[in-house]
Amino acid sequence: MTDKVPSTARLLAANFVRNTAGMVGFLIIFLVVTSAIFAEQISGYDPNLMDGMSTSMSPSTDHLMGTDQLGRDMFSRVLYGGRNSVLIGVTASFLGNLIGTVLGAIAGYLGGKLDTIFIRLSELFMTFPQLVLVLIFVTFLGQGVSNVIIIFAITGWMTTFRLVRSEFLSLREEAFVEADRAFGFSKKRIIFRHLLPNTMSPIVVAFTINIAIYIIAEAGLSFLGLGVPVTTPTWGNLLAAAQAPVVVEQYWWLWVFPATAIIVFVTGVNFIGDGLRDVLDPRQRTRGSKSTFKSALKEKLIGTRERNS
Amino acid sequence: MIPMAFSISAIIFFASRLSPIDPLNSLISPDAAADPTNLAILKERLGFNDPIIVQYFNWLMEMFKGNFGYSIQSGQPISEILALRMPATLELVLAALIISTTLALLIGLIAGANRGGLTDKTSRALAAVGISVPDFFIGLALLNVLAYRLSWFPTGQRISPGQETFLDRLPHLVLPVATLSIAMLAVLIRYTRNSVLDTINRDFVKTARSKGLPEWKVMWSHVFRNSLGPVMVLIAFRLPLLVGGAVLVEAVFQWPGIGDTIVEAVTVSDYPVIMVVSLLIAVAILFASFLVDIAKSILDPRVRLGATTE
Repeated sequence: MTDKVPSTARLLAANFVRNTAGMVGFLIIFLVVTSAIFAEQISGYDPNLMDGMSTSMSPSTDHLMGTDQLGRDMFSRVLYGGRNSVLIGVTASFLGNLIGTVLGAIAGYLGGKLDTIFIRLSELFMTFPQLVLVLIFVTFLGQGVSNVIIIFAITGWMTTFRLVRSEFLSLREEAFVEADRAFGFSKKRIIFRHLLPNTMSPIVVAFTINIAIYIIAEAGLSFLGLGVPVTTPTWGNLLAAAQAPVVVEQYWWLWVFPATAIIVFVTGVNFIGDGLRDVLDPRQRTRGSKSTFKSALKEKLIGTRERNS
Repeated sequence: MIPMAFSISAIIFFASRLSPIDPLNSLISPDAAADPTNLAILKERLGFNDPIIVQYFNWLMEMFKGNFGYSIQSGQPISEILALRMPATLELVLAALIISTTLALLIGLIAGANRGGLTDKTSRALAAVGISVPDFFIGLALLNVLAYRLSWFPTGQRISPGQETFLDRLPHLVLPVATLSIAMLAVLIRYTRNSVLDTINRDFVKTARSKGLPEWKVMWSHVFRNSLGPVMVLIAFRLPLLVGGAVLVEAVFQWPGIGDTIVEAVTVSDYPVIMVVSLLIAVAILFASFLVDIAKSILDPRVRLGATTE
């Protein structure tokens, strides 16, 4: 087992490199993330330094993306904003996936009352549109970077939960799990050591796609002025300047550049997600390749495939 | 659906009791609350000394009667606020739903029928970009170009002062509706296209073709009809927008709808308003999922109401 793992990983990596969408996405993300990390070296301006002499200047060679009404360099603010936005997206997606994975694993493997409770809970959360749910939580918890991350995590675990749960439901009937049980392994060990590694692919895909969703959600929330405090630049916070009609009308560079950053990054993430899905989860791409006689028969009898919508 | 509605209403009720404001304030008008002796009598009469379960059912009865309580910010009855804001949201969302659904079904059908064709390629590229663009950015771009630079349309709000007829309001409606429609198009086109592709390879389509039916008839009455099922679900789950409003689009265009009300309420922590609006949204969504079940059984005779899946 141990000496087979690297070869599988290399195989997957080789497949991913051959996947055009995935590689394009990877390049985009690599560029955005590196420029966000090296924001100090690239921009040359302090993102919070106000320069009364050069306020609201349109893009020029001095200020690549212009300056805002307080004379702060927009290019530098977009770079630093990317740092915070990406951090929020990645952390929230990780936490949300963690919650979804743990609950889904427990519900799927153990079943019974706990399963029913978790399913009902996820239905309850899915009843509300995400933004409305986020707004309700903002009312109770308040704003701030960590609160936004927590709120995103507790409002976005349901998709992963359903995914992991259904994987576990089918996996727990497999022969190797039966063997595990016969060995007398504890439930904890079976769930986390033996079953979980087998469900990693959909979790990784969900993690990637959720990053894109959260970046857009942060932008929306901060645009409304209900997300991260203005003192911390994020792409959403920069966009919030466009709440003022004069900015929409005259200072297009204040909202076009942050929005472009969001669009580019999110497109990149979605490309990676598609690529990963192709590589890690071939069943999603070529339908019926893994179908057994039983499932083919069921399909014939029932007529339609069950959709996970 | 019914038990879900009850549990949501219960959660919302108890959450509002946990909120840092005195629930009394959300039930009576501020004028009546000013007098302390009055307050004690009111407290008794409104049942605040009853057990909490009794209070919950009383509250539920009041909700059914349309007595939603009062906003703690403005002191207005919430039912009045809703009555004021609802028409704006209905106008915006209904128009956007009709336009985006018609366009998306049409484009999706053409794209799916001519896989790899020009429509297919463009629509796929647009859909891929479309899901990465925040919807309010579309609104900002339209505002900048069409309203400020070209002055073709007003720059926001629902009515200009002194012009109250529907025709006067129409120009105000164009940009918000366009924004919301574009935002809703991408996903629906992708969905319709995939659904059409799923159906087009089925045996009954081959049968229809080999019977010698003209291609448009095969497309229209066999492929299109049978690919509607999954698309219906997506459309139905957009219906609750009619109640909840489109929060971001309304914010961009200062559109005085429900979405705008939610944002205002969250900004000033107006708990009663948030609770009532979220309850209405939840009920609307539960109702939509009920509609989906009915629509499925109409479109597909194999699905029976009340039958358990699997």
